[in-house]
Amino acid sequence: MPGRNNRLAVLVISLILMFVATQCGGGGSSTAQAPSQAPASGSQASATQAPSGGQAASQASSGAPVELRLTWWGSQDRHDRTIKAIQLFQQKHPNIHITYEFSSFNDYLTKLSTQAAGGALPDVMQMDYAWIAEWSQRGLLVPLDDYTKNGTINVSDVDPSNLNGGVVDGKLVAINLGSNSQNWVLDADAFKKAGVDLPKDDWTWDDFEKISTALHGKLGNWAHGMAIADNQLWKSLYLSQGAWAFAKDGTQLGYTDDKPLVDWLNMILRLQKAGAVMPHQEELASYANASPEQSPTVTSKADMEYFWSNQITSFWKAAGDNRNFVEMPLPRPTGGKSANYIKPGQFFSISSQSKHPQEAAMFIDFFTNDVEANQILGAERGVPISNKVRDAIKPQMGKSQQAMFDYVARVSKDAQPVPPADPPGATDVINNVYKPLIDQVLFEQLPPDQAAKQLRDQANAILAKNKK
Amino acid sequence: MAQATLSPTLAKQAHLRRERTRSLVYYVGVTLLAFIMVYPILWLFASSLKPSAEIWTTVSSLIPRTITWENYTNGWRGFGGISFTTFYMNSFIYAIVGTIGSVLSSAIVAYGFSRIRFFGRGFWFVCLLMTLMLPAQVTIIPQYIAFSKLQLLNTWWPLLLPKFFGGAFFIFMMMQFIRGIPKDLDEAAFIDGCGHAGIFFRIILPLIVPALITAAIFSFYWTWEDFLTPLVYMNKPNLYTVSLALRSFADPSAATDWGAVFAMSALSLIPVFILFVIFQRYLVEGISTSGLKG
Amino acid sequence: MATSGQTISDEARGVGRISTRPVSRRRRRNLNNLAGYLFISPWLIGFFLFTFLPMLASLYFAFTDYSILSPPRWVGLANFEQMFFHDPRYWKSVQATFYYVFAAVPLRLAFALVVAMLLNNYRPGVGIYRAAYYAPSVIGGSVAVAVMWRQIFGTQGVVNALTGFLGIPPVTWLGDPKTAIWTLIILAVWQFGSPMLIFLAGLKQIPKELYEAASMDGAHGWSQFLHITIPMLTPVILFNLVMQMISGFMVFTQAFIVTGGAPLDTTLFYALYLYQRAFVNFQMGYASAMAWVLLIVVALFTALVFRSSSAWVHYETEGD
Repeated sequence: MPGRNNRLAVLVISLILMFVATQCGGGGSSTAQAPSQAPASGSQASATQAPSGGQAASQASSGAPVELRLTWWGSQDRHDRTIKAIQLFQQKHPNIHITYEFSSFNDYLTKLSTQAAGGALPDVMQMDYAWIAEWSQRGLLVPLDDYTKNGTINVSDVDPSNLNGGVVDGKLVAINLGSNSQNWVLDADAFKKAGVDLPKDDWTWDDFEKISTALHGKLGNWAHGMAIADNQLWKSLYLSQGAWAFAKDGTQLGYTDDKPLVDWLNMILRLQKAGAVMPHQEELASYANASPEQSPTVTSKADMEYFWSNQITSFWKAAGDNRNFVEMPLPRPTGGKSANYIKPGQFFSISSQSKHPQEAAMFIDFFTNDVEANQILGAERGVPISNKVRDAIKPQMGKSQQAMFDYVARVSKDAQPVPPADPPGATDVINNVYKPLIDQVLFEQLPPDQAAKQLRDQANAILAKNKK
Repeated sequence: MAQATLSPTLAKQAHLRRERTRSLVYYVGVTLLAFIMVYPILWLFASSLKPSAEIWTTVSSLIPRTITWENYTNGWRGFGGISFTTFYMNSFIYAIVGTIGSVLSSAIVAYGFSRIRFFGRGFWFVCLLMTLMLPAQVTIIPQYIAFSKLQLLNTWWPLLLPKFFGGAFFIFMMMQFIRGIPKDLDEAAFIDGCGHAGIFFRIILPLIVPALITAAIFSFYWTWEDFLTPLVYMNKPNLYTVSLALRSFADPSAATDWGAVFAMSALSLIPVFILFVIFQRYLVEGISTSGLKG
Repeated sequence: MATSGQTISDEARGVGRISTRPVSRRRRRNLNNLAGYLFISPWLIGFFLFTFLPMLASLYFAFTDYSILSPPRWVGLANFEQMFFHDPRYWKSVQATFYYVFAAVPLRLAFALVVAMLLNNYRPGVGIYRAAYYAPSVIGGSVAVAVMWRQIFGTQGVVNALTGFLGIPPVTWLGDPKTAIWTLIILAVWQFGSPMLIFLAGLKQIPKELYEAASMDGAHGWSQFLHITIPMLTPVILFNLVMQMISGFMVFTQAFIVTGGAPLDTTLFYALYLYQRAFVNFQMGYASAMAWVLLIVVALFTALVFRSSSAWVHYETEGD
């Protein structure tokens, strides 16, 4: 008995020693990746590059070592690209050392909100359109207007429409990292095979229904894949009629007529019953959280797909270069105008807990305007907002990125102005009202007209809290 | 052990035959069930050996058409120059130190709760169980604020220190094992002049080795798998653990190298398995109290 | 009474070596108190350092509107009112959780006990089988599990292939409100490794002499199982029951990674909904209120099990 225990003890102790020893070896490699912080001669040179002007700028240009924290979400590809861009920035600004943290989208908010509560937010944070209003109204984001005015963040090459998405209550609080628009991706090969004509840019939901029926009739697969009743489409439905899902002051829904919503849901139900689109049940069963590689259109189980335009690159990559896809704007209700708007894919914001907003702004400027950096980033977050950068990198991009650039330029022509950022409580409305109700509709447990009414009542009850 | 009573040869042969059929039935049944149990793991390994293009087209097949180790080399590279070597190092520190801390401290506390009658014991035991009933989601923010006020973010303290104060699950588990040990053993020791410390170290600890091993296996695995604590407290990628790194691979909206995700997921199971295989032997050999009684 | 030497009760033991001099009852009690608190001190210190204050904080949040992003604001019972009377999803989450607890916990325990019995022997290769049966529990809650589980229960998955072989038409297991929760229950049962291991350790701890004695008395197989194994295992059964029940009420990962609560909120487990309220909607006050209701319910059920345990749990240390 004692013998056995001794063996165990020896094992445990030797394991500890083993790992303590290897850790020492590993320590070297982990510090090696930290770029040199030494404020050597190079820092002086970089200081002249740093744009001057602005209250804090004089401190920055002195070249004193500064440490910035940066955070974002994404997949491995984005992590690698962003880290490379950071290294480039550090080469150009040797006095600024950037530590970074990344996570998957699922974990991002848990982490960021915990840090917000603890007063430990990073200097620069990747933000989503859905959050900026709330975060800004809670005083967590630094207004950037001073930095754009004094040129720290150079926006002279950026169309105002590409900046407006980051404006909350008249203040610019977030810089767009890439422009997107919703798109309907059509499998051109399938259309050809079925002998169905590709629609025009101003196609309507009626056209969509006819096309779907025709495709399904000829090919037998689903005409449309995932997310056919996505909450973004509900919002856009009203956008094409000059309204928006939420009222401007955020205290109630922004529309009074339920009919477009009811008609649209009825159409989806008709298609679903006919088997022309992927049944909701099947989507939940096999495609929840599906990444582009698993998309039904990539695997030819469906002919059309809806998502944001920046996702076309990974979608096309997953499908293979030999396939042909066409990007279309959203179908609109009959008689409506364009249902599209140019949405900032993601933003960078500076947190109000940052001690170095000036350097943080310099980094955002670098991310926005540096051609070399954007070559590394590869428009993976969407079309770069600087015209200069866009023109410089477009020729080097692949087939799918070029298609994305062209598409965003095409929809920009008649796109709607960016609707205001979602009001506080909007996430609550979408997750706890819209989604559960639409689920019931698609499971045919609740008629569309009743769902629309309940949506209005419950959403207004939540949004009424925004009244001052 | 030493009761080799000889029975008549004929009866012995019949007995052997019966034994052999029973053995056969046993092995066939157990193997079939085992296949169902490990099927998903086989699937994971098979997928990790498929080239990226093949993963989603032959998704239900267990045999890759072409075998490639590319996913492993690609995955191991990690992110932006920080490879899985670093993540594994961090996970080993967390899991090994954490396991030693929580198993030892839990055993001590468990002895106190199960063998000593002291004032307030029932109350504290209820508190102990209550700590298991409050979801971590609501205590994580106050905890984070405390550690950040102490300037301990990005250090090992918030991860390792709490482990040295015992885990409620392990304490309760060991209590149940200790309470299953006949009390006459302690009494004998007591007569021999042992105090609580002596009884704990000389009698109880050796007898609850199966429970200690079990706790060690769980603790290692749970810390190995835990991503929430490192997610919140470790903000530099060179402090990420394997489980956290794995979660950073995939994103529903972006291109994901699924081959690498599967390869690294498969690889991350190996340390836990090795530990299990080493330690489960101690569960085979069994513990006999006879040696102590005499 | 306790000094007789034959019926030494707990009180008779002090810290360190007992002195030969007879000690007074009060002193004995004090010594025991000291020893008890000394032994539990690691946990007690940790409790006050890391758990007690956060628990108090969350109790306070339960009565506030706390968005994480800005400081909490006192709202009295508003969170509870909203929860009980105005939140249909809350009741759906309660329903899903109870369904899960009452289905998954007994199944998982039964399965774990049966397999532990099967693997509690000295046959060659039994270690490999144990590893195989423990394997699913090791793969836990990674991204890979989510993908895999959807493959297995997908429309073209292995399960439909098997049922199709028996002539049953394919089912969208994870998309059908009637079946989705069962895929998660099966996932839980399949990951039965931890209770199995505890049972196995418990079986190992049963003194062999008991079986030897019983064999000499002519008791074999089933009778041994009923009269030795089960009674001797009851402390461990109690432990597994309590722990599985508590973790059943707090089930989160499976739904979080596989279904996200869909379809129609039939797998929206309590802890998942709580998480969504806290970290998706930033309603930490509401989430804390939910957490404390959960704590009270779980505590009640646990108390019930403990109450019943005096009737069926057999301790070697009677009277404790």
